[in-house]
Amino acid sequence: MADLVKITVDGRQIEVPHGELVIRAAQDHGVYIPRFCWHPRMREVGMCRMCLVEIETPRGTILTTACTTTAAEGMVVHTASDTAKKAQEGILEFLLINHPLDCPVCDKGGECPLQDQTMAFGPGESRFVEEKRHYEKPIPISDLVFLDRERCILCARCTRFADEIAGDPLIEFKDRGNHTSVETFPDLPFSSYFSGNTVQICPVGALTASAYRFKARPWDLLVVESSCSHCTVGCRISVESSQNHVLRFNGVDNGATNQGWLSDKCRFGFEFIGSEQRLRTPLVKVEGEFREASWAEALDVVADRLGAIIEEQGGDAVGGIGGARSTNEDAYAFGKFMRTVVGSNHLDARLDDGLDARFLAAVSPRAKIADLDRAATILVWAPDLKEESGSLYLRVRHAVQERGAKLVVVHPRRTGLDDRATHKLTYRPGEGPALLGELAGGAGDYAKVLETLSLGPVVAVVGRTGLTEQPQLAEEVAAFALSLPDAKVLPFARRSNVFGALDMGVAPTLLPGRAAAGDSEATGHLEAVWGPIPTQAGRDTMGILQGLVDGDLKALVLLGADPVRDVPAAGIARRGMESAEFVVAIDLFLTDSSELADVVFPAEAFGEKEGTITNLEGRVQKVNRVVTGPGQSQADWTILDDISRRLGKPLGFASAEAISKEIADVAPPYGGISWELLEWDAKEGAVVPYGEAGQPVAYRPDGVDREALAAMSRNPESGAFALHLARTLYDDGVLMRNSLSLHALAPGGAVHLHPADAARLGVSEGSLVEVETVDASVRLPAVIDPSLATGVVYVPFNQPGIPSLGSDLSVVVAAGEEVSA
Amino acid sequence: MSLWPAETQEMAKKLIGRYPDPKSAVMPLLYLAMRQDGYLTEAGMREVASWTGHTPAQVQSVATFYGMFKTERLGDYLVSVCTSISCMLLGGDEVLDAVEDETGVPHGETDAEGLFSVEHVECLGACGGAPAMQVNYELVEGSTPDQARSLCRWLREERPEAVNTDAMQEQFGGRRSFDWAITEDNSAVGPYPAFGPYGTLRRGDT
Amino acid sequence: MIEGIIVTAVANEVHEAFVYIRGEYPKPARRVQQAIDEAYAAGYLGKGIFGTDYDLDVTVHLGGGAYICGEETGLINSLEGKRGEPRIKPPYFPAAKGLYLMPTIVNNVETVSNVPHILAMGADDYRALGHADDTGTFLFSVSGHVKGPGNYELPHGITWRELIFDVAGGIREDRELKAWIPGGASAPWFVPEHHLDLEITKDATAKAGSMLGSGAVIVMDETTCVVKAAERVVRFFSHESCGQCTPCREGTTWMEMILRRVEDGFGRSVDAELLLDISDNISPGLAWPPKQTTICPLGPSAVSPVTSVTRYFRDELMQHIEQGGCPLG
Repeated sequence: MADLVKITVDGRQIEVPHGELVIRAAQDHGVYIPRFCWHPRMREVGMCRMCLVEIETPRGTILTTACTTTAAEGMVVHTASDTAKKAQEGILEFLLINHPLDCPVCDKGGECPLQDQTMAFGPGESRFVEEKRHYEKPIPISDLVFLDRERCILCARCTRFADEIAGDPLIEFKDRGNHTSVETFPDLPFSSYFSGNTVQICPVGALTASAYRFKARPWDLLVVESSCSHCTVGCRISVESSQNHVLRFNGVDNGATNQGWLSDKCRFGFEFIGSEQRLRTPLVKVEGEFREASWAEALDVVADRLGAIIEEQGGDAVGGIGGARSTNEDAYAFGKFMRTVVGSNHLDARLDDGLDARFLAAVSPRAKIADLDRAATILVWAPDLKEESGSLYLRVRHAVQERGAKLVVVHPRRTGLDDRATHKLTYRPGEGPALLGELAGGAGDYAKVLETLSLGPVVAVVGRTGLTEQPQLAEEVAAFALSLPDAKVLPFARRSNVFGALDMGVAPTLLPGRAAAGDSEATGHLEAVWGPIPTQAGRDTMGILQGLVDGDLKALVLLGADPVRDVPAAGIARRGMESAEFVVAIDLFLTDSSELADVVFPAEAFGEKEGTITNLEGRVQKVNRVVTGPGQSQADWTILDDISRRLGKPLGFASAEAISKEIADVAPPYGGISWELLEWDAKEGAVVPYGEAGQPVAYRPDGVDREALAAMSRNPESGAFALHLARTLYDDGVLMRNSLSLHALAPGGAVHLHPADAARLGVSEGSLVEVETVDASVRLPAVIDPSLATGVVYVPFNQPGIPSLGSDLSVVVAAGEEVSA
Repeated sequence: MSLWPAETQEMAKKLIGRYPDPKSAVMPLLYLAMRQDGYLTEAGMREVASWTGHTPAQVQSVATFYGMFKTERLGDYLVSVCTSISCMLLGGDEVLDAVEDETGVPHGETDAEGLFSVEHVECLGACGGAPAMQVNYELVEGSTPDQARSLCRWLREERPEAVNTDAMQEQFGGRRSFDWAITEDNSAVGPYPAFGPYGTLRRGDT
Repeated sequence: MIEGIIVTAVANEVHEAFVYIRGEYPKPARRVQQAIDEAYAAGYLGKGIFGTDYDLDVTVHLGGGAYICGEETGLINSLEGKRGEPRIKPPYFPAAKGLYLMPTIVNNVETVSNVPHILAMGADDYRALGHADDTGTFLFSVSGHVKGPGNYELPHGITWRELIFDVAGGIREDRELKAWIPGGASAPWFVPEHHLDLEITKDATAKAGSMLGSGAVIVMDETTCVVKAAERVVRFFSHESCGQCTPCREGTTWMEMILRRVEDGFGRSVDAELLLDISDNISPGLAWPPKQTTICPLGPSAVSPVTSVTRYFRDELMQHIEQGGCPLG
């Protein structure tokens, strides 16, 4: 807790933390000092000079910038004295002399700090009669962002953001003095995953988003706060719509999670909401073709055919996959539907992301994202966070760069955090367990790494680095991490609301409230509200799909899930769905999976429904309805409720809010969570705490088991490479496919090889390479990647036009034959 | 993969070794890149970035901040005429006019045959010998406009491989701001400062 | 200089020194490098200097043609491989957070070169040179319309009259002295009516509203168009502005454009007041020593010629505007 000092601002005495920037201290107490270059989440630079104020010092009154002055006891600040006002007017006049009169055609008009501050603090007229400077305008600096150098006031917010926050210094000032401009290097565009943030923080209309240019005026927009639903951080966003179309997302400064920043996937990944391809009516498959049907008709088909299977073969013959892309309320409804209406424990929100459901739902001590800022050491043994969760990547980066945390990164390939890492350990997929064993033992070179890790507090971000990695490795890593001093862990899984869905019990080994399935006390508590639930062991997603292939399962309910595209073993997914007697899908689009269904119901997307989601910290946030869903789309819970009624076992939900109240009853850790709390009090969301007394414990980490580790190590087949199969930020997932600006940015299929391996195979950059696994055979262009270990190839997962290579470790790689003309 | 010949790479390594942080060597390496290609090309900036750990955008930012890193093709002889206050008072503007006229090249441009680049510059710090000018950054002080013309004619006719400040001063200069009391043989071989550690230098025979 | 560096380094436990030389000075750089090489060869620099176990390395670093790298924090940024932009002070006082954010001593070559002389002569004898308030000698670079321009090492305390007319030989062709800049382009001008008999010391100069600065004395005779001279100085600062902060980046260029327009004959009667108000927005109160709305003093430097011309030569300025051209033809 910082010491407080008393300072006087414009005659009013206030108490502020010692060392606080005067501009922030004043703002926190209702005094707005004008500014352009200062941003509360970036280092101060004192460049624009707009925040000039007078400060009394023992040496006399000085005129200085409030953003570079720190509060000290007894300081007297005048923000609106005659001298300060003249200086502020002067600065605005200077800024306006070269600024073009673009307001009528500029996106920023109406939400423009330059406009607003000129009205409030500026001179009435400009006295400049010379020629303004001119540039070609606008110029694209990336696929997503345009730059207008005439409008730019050279505050450097964008260049500083790119370097300081994102770690992508691809835009910089060029030339000097009055000729300075922001530029990229020729042929090296500003293709940072965070480029969209510069559009939001630019105080003028110099940076505009291609997805939003000329679409609306700010005063036409309906602005509602909500959370992004792409990754498990749940960044806080404002959803802005006009005439029932979502036009843009902006970042909202939630100090606990994204702190105002968004990855471009978050920010621009909204186009799918208004896509023409959205399902508008129920569809029923007749003789192999989909036909639009009424709700009554579609529900009848489900009641008949699914009902028959349940009656004749038992609920155990039905599986349910999905829920990670739904709200907690929808996921809860799904869990209750599968267990009480269908009578099956075969349900899973994960799509073979490979991490144990109990581990994800219940491992503790669980870190909060903000704990990164207090950590002395951070361990990241997880996917490349820059690809899978931009906001978490930014928080780790910030903690290392600004708070001095030491960073250890363990990954088969280069990651976005390597340049900040104190130690980077590279390994061959399959050998992770051996590496962990050596690291835990502190042998040889690892002694130094272990020494770094032994400086607490430690926060460990633990996940599966790629889709071919042993799923149990992450648990061992977490166990090791939790043995470090003052350690907390953040288990990392990427997909949307998977943590919420798991908290709602959408997994074979979990019940709602993070209790283990089979825990008699938890079961009893649940059955008191639900009635009896099935007792036999449930299957996870791969178990369900395999069961369908084998004929043990006959039917499948898909809730916002696309196993054919998202499960690495795509072949099994497809065969499973094709083998099923009956498949009903609830989805936004006709995906590769819902294409194979017998009945498809149109669902509402995020932004079209109200509910809550839970992120990887266990933080519950409210998501809100801003636009109506297309056509006859409905919320997931409504559709499931309708089906349940047709099946004769109504779920009986009255509203999504009513579901949230039932959740609070049924899942003890959620007892304190309500929509009212989230809307009025818990502005940063409310964390559902882990490991509290009286809470069910579904998961307890053991110590590192050396023998288990040894047994876990795997090698690829002789003559084969180890496959590192990992996701990229932009890929061919259904939401990206329908967000056209972003889909074009998917990197596409490629196979990355170490230069020594490439040389040995006679492969050069760009040449075609034959890549074969048990699941697929494909020809891909080669990329030379010295960040890999030898014997490893990296292939990005789920790229347009490329079949999945599956989750097997072994991959055979050979130089492709030249295709003769 | 470096695009530079082995000798230049050796020099780059040595230059980086003079500083605690490789990023500090960006300016010397930019001079090296200019020497390689005659001016600072995009490939040159990318090469420098690969040595220092900057991004190419950062290298471009540093390079364009300074007036001496030229990103457009230059002639064999860069003639820089000072027109700041002290030189202006003693006829610097007239010297510039004479140079532009004699070479046919206006300020800021290069002629088609790649012989001359002409620029007017701010203070060269040779105010005692105003008006001052430089050929490939080798100083010639106190020239009259006619002497400046003679210098340009000499460059055009003789096409010297390297230019030496003392020799040029002797032939085409006037008052000096500072008497070094020694002559040296070091000469500039192009439009970059002739400084040994950066490799841009040629010694005379004597 | 090298001896001065060695003494200063050892006294402050510094092991790494850089000599930052303008890129436009290849010959001085060559000379300095040769001297440094000789010092290394003689064991005065490098590993274990003078047979001790004290290491000291001196590296010559060439600039790239940016005057602002003469500002101590601009120099430091340039040495770090960045744009030579000055840093905000506080917190980046070099003695506390300098090169690579380590404590750093930044001094002119002239200052450091005094150190061995002070040690050799002894402090008392050194103090006996010059003026009680400003001891020792000072390097003047006299240029412009004098008969004998050049560099002169002189004790503080002589008068301007002595400097211009005795040491530098008086005005060329015996013309009339019109004005002179006492201490580099940043300094407000002095005029014969007021300043010829002032002692050349820091205090006396400051009290008279200017500074000794770099010691560059630029002398202008009666043939000088003060508007053109002012424009040239303002143009210099506009060209050399790093561009970081608004008042300097925009204000110096704006003033350059106005002065050029006045010079070209398109001045307006409001331009004189406008120039002064722009100046006030860069250097509030047009006070001396100057206040600044800018990060570094380069912005206020551009104000000096403007205030000097409007203070001492307003008639000539107004004539430019009213006559649509220079009254001197």
